[in-house]
Amino acid sequence: MLKMTHLAKVYRTEVVETYALRDFNIDVKEGEFVAVTGPSGSGKTTFLTIAGLLETFTGGHYHLDGVEVSQLDDNARSRIRNEKIGFIFQAFNLIPDLNVFDNVEVPLRYRGMKAAERKQRIMDALERVGLASRAKHYPAELSGGQQQRVAIARALAGSPRLLLADEPTGNLDTQMARGVMELLEEIHREGATIVMVTHDPELAARAQRNVHVIDGQVVDLAEEPRFHAHAHTAHS
Amino acid sequence: MQIRPILAALRRHKAGTILIALQIALTLAIVCNALFIVHERVERVRRTTGMNEANVIAVQNLYVGSPGTYLPLMKTDLQALRSMPGVEDAYVTNSFPLRRGGWSTTAQRNADDGKNGVQSALYFGDEHALATLGVKLIAGRNFTPGEITSFTRDQQPAPPQVIVTKAFADKMFPDGNALGKTVYYIKGRPSTIIGIVEKLTVPWIDTDFIDNVTIMPLLFDSSYQHFVLRTKPGQQDAVFKSVASTLYGVNRMRVLPEKNGVRTFGMVRSAAYEADRGMAVLMSIVCGVLLAITAAGIVGLSSFWVGQRRKQIGVRRALGARKSDILGYFMTENFLIALAGVVVGVILALGMNQWMLTQFEMQRLSFTYVLVGVVVLLGLGQAAVFAPALRASRVSPVEATRSV
Amino acid sequence: MFSYYLQLGLRSLRRNPMLTALMVMAIGFGVAASMTTYSVFRATSRDPIPQKSDVLYNVQLDNWGPENTKEGEPPPALSYKDATALLRAHKAKRQTVTYPIGVSVIPEDPSRLPVRQGAYATGADFFPMFDVPFLQGRAWSLDDDEKHADVAVISKSLNDKLFNGGQSVGKQINLDGHLFRITGVIEDWAPQPLFFDVPNTSGFDEGASVYVPFNRAVDLRLPNNGNNNCVKDPGEGWDNYLRSECIWLSLWTELPSKSEAQSYREYLSGYAAEMQRSGRFSWAPNVRLRNVMDWLSVQKVVPRESQVSLLVSLGFLVICLVNTIGLLLAKFMRRAPEIGVRRALGASRLDIYAQFLIEAGTIGIAGGVLGLLLTGLGVLGVGLVFPEDIARLATLDPTLMLLTLVVAITASVVAAFYPTWRAAQVQPAWQLKSN
Repeated sequence: MLKMTHLAKVYRTEVVETYALRDFNIDVKEGEFVAVTGPSGSGKTTFLTIAGLLETFTGGHYHLDGVEVSQLDDNARSRIRNEKIGFIFQAFNLIPDLNVFDNVEVPLRYRGMKAAERKQRIMDALERVGLASRAKHYPAELSGGQQQRVAIARALAGSPRLLLADEPTGNLDTQMARGVMELLEEIHREGATIVMVTHDPELAARAQRNVHVIDGQVVDLAEEPRFHAHAHTAHS
Repeated sequence: MQIRPILAALRRHKAGTILIALQIALTLAIVCNALFIVHERVERVRRTTGMNEANVIAVQNLYVGSPGTYLPLMKTDLQALRSMPGVEDAYVTNSFPLRRGGWSTTAQRNADDGKNGVQSALYFGDEHALATLGVKLIAGRNFTPGEITSFTRDQQPAPPQVIVTKAFADKMFPDGNALGKTVYYIKGRPSTIIGIVEKLTVPWIDTDFIDNVTIMPLLFDSSYQHFVLRTKPGQQDAVFKSVASTLYGVNRMRVLPEKNGVRTFGMVRSAAYEADRGMAVLMSIVCGVLLAITAAGIVGLSSFWVGQRRKQIGVRRALGARKSDILGYFMTENFLIALAGVVVGVILALGMNQWMLTQFEMQRLSFTYVLVGVVVLLGLGQAAVFAPALRASRVSPVEATRSV
Repeated sequence: MFSYYLQLGLRSLRRNPMLTALMVMAIGFGVAASMTTYSVFRATSRDPIPQKSDVLYNVQLDNWGPENTKEGEPPPALSYKDATALLRAHKAKRQTVTYPIGVSVIPEDPSRLPVRQGAYATGADFFPMFDVPFLQGRAWSLDDDEKHADVAVISKSLNDKLFNGGQSVGKQINLDGHLFRITGVIEDWAPQPLFFDVPNTSGFDEGASVYVPFNRAVDLRLPNNGNNNCVKDPGEGWDNYLRSECIWLSLWTELPSKSEAQSYREYLSGYAAEMQRSGRFSWAPNVRLRNVMDWLSVQKVVPRESQVSLLVSLGFLVICLVNTIGLLLAKFMRRAPEIGVRRALGASRLDIYAQFLIEAGTIGIAGGVLGLLLTGLGVLGVGLVFPEDIARLATLDPTLMLLTLVVAITASVVAAFYPTWRAAQVQPAWQLKSN
């Protein structure tokens, strides 16, 4: 589903080159729920922006759903974002000028869907997150947890193959965070592929697999001990 | 105030900075030139005629039919007008100041010299002309009744005596002492200057010989005449209303045109300067609206900047900046932008004036106007930025801790 | 998608009513100022006789010499000597000489007061040459010109005044004591600019209500009511005046093709050369044959005030546009977060362009409507700035209304290009950074 090999991202200024990602390898299979963890500044967010086609990368390969994306132009990337990826942001990023219904509608509009189908999908998605009754409300009238549910509904409405979440509970209190997390798990059970970036170990523990990023490189904690053990046996 | 950090910050907002500076520059260029046009026009409107303009009425009269001579009709009419209650004096003429139609010719010092004369407007009238117009005789004497003669359309106006304005006399005889000298209005026909009046202007408003006038002791024997009346103080309205019926009472075979037949001198003056006044009003409105729009634009963009930099301002406040420091920061920032704007604006204003100079015969822009424009726009910028800057100074240091 | 963007645009405008009002006012005022002054400029610079303006030619001939003319431009009118000589030669399909006369019409009813009327002395060709529309009767004939006949053509409003609008062809009209037989009644005809008599009217005038044959007017010594310019003393008396070099007559010719115009030009030069040979002119032939639009432009019919105010208000519009660019930039960039989200959710750059240009377009429409109202007021107020003869020509017709809207919308969309470009540069957002 999502496969990066030897991927590099370099930020250049006049004086320095900074590697945000270096020889970055990751392979997320269809239907997986992967948590990407790491200290701040480790490059996990850069990974997510590249994974979501929000930024380009400097070297290596990135196959999304079997397509090599490095050569795509802005239009094609926009189209893939719209059709294949759903985003869940830490700061929700709802558009304050639009009500709940209209916010969920945004990606469907860019897909050029007919009004009837849009409405069906929006109501289904809002039903799903338990906010169908709030369709006419504006973001400012909702609690943080509700806003994040709207954001999830917006991500789901387009039936994306891949959900990318960045600290989805970062701006929420514990109780609301739990509700949002349960919703994500439920969506995963129904077959969605989810990649979630978090620095919260408790949250990461609920994912199927954890990928740890340090200094722009993947360090597979889950496999590390086994690797060492294996090496041991080889020696002995 | 530390200017370097402000300039550094502005470099990061190039577009906004350039737009405000450009707007100030263009506004300065247009406002300077527009105000200068207003000034030019007001100067024109405020020119005096040399007359005592109060209590003067002008009547445009056309005799109908073709009698051999119009002189008896003119004399009867004058008699009737002079004996009207409320009328102090009256005379008949071909033209008067601000009428925008009349006669002019080039007067010569010598009988045979055909070149380098002095242009002069010609007014015809009798011994009542000076008193009716209310002009001041500063040398010599008025016409006597015996000197008044007449001429027809087929003849040339060249009487033996004339009264001229001081401006004309000085141009004709730069050495002074024009009184008693001879002038030729028609080749070979000498006229002696018997009187000099302080000032009287020509009928037109756009000439380069505005003060050069000659009054000739003549009646022009023609169907088209202008009567000029001086009323007693307070009687102008009454005379204005009854003068037409008085004339028709004397003789019906005449036309006093519906438009402009009978006019007070105030009406003559406002009709003459209608276009100038209109232009001044238009340019004033344009300046006003322009300044308002520029001020509003500065308020809009500054508010946006303040909104955009709330967090930054919060950080500064948290780090110990006083409210006055923040206020001062934005005021200085605006001042620097406006300064750049007015520098470009001055160049534009002068360039625009230079171009209008060649295209529309305007005068050269006086530097006072540019200076006033510069001060006005710098002040306008400061006034416009004050409210947004004040709002910025009230940003709480807590903003620093808020994300996004 | 268009309706979606329109919806979004309107919603966004409602969001910041002050900012929106400011932009709408800037566009409205800028456009209204330009359109109002343009209405005057258009009125003063228009083609008064579009169907024939390129076949009608004014004739100029330098009978004053380089000492008395400026920059080699011949005087704007002709002397009697030249005008009549050129007429007699009959070198054009049609030709007519004109000069303004002032006449008083004496009603038959002795209880009614005489009325002063603007009038022209001219030839029979005047009417067909200038497509003058007749209501009754017809123009007098060339034969009438030859016979110095006492005939006249009057206007509808004079016919209404004198004959209560009834049939008047064949009836008599008393002009300053001379009786003329009416051959036709025309509409109140006064093309603006009044191209055939620019030297005396500056191009704008209500026109005349009486026309009489030129030959008869000269016989009756009807004085010229327009400008009379002499560089030399003509001497006393009417006959001396006719023999003088004083200029007071306009000569117009109709030359249907370029080649006819060319041969007329050659004829004119030939005439001037003959005058030089005979010793009357001591300078080389200096003639002009200009069609209507060239003539109007050389005579600078468009008033200086009209040009200056049009220029100033165009400058005003430019400032309003710069202002709008700044405000739009502020407005659009304030929505950078929204743009980032939209981009992340799949909006292409093109989508962002469309959305924001349409939003600007709605500002343009609102500004255009305001501009239309203000232009209406402005056109009503033109009389405060321009002389009445010109002010009455400035009207708010459908063309001007359409132009106002088009200029407003175009202006606001053009103003939106840069801010929209900036908006489209916003990167699709993940972590939205402040500043």
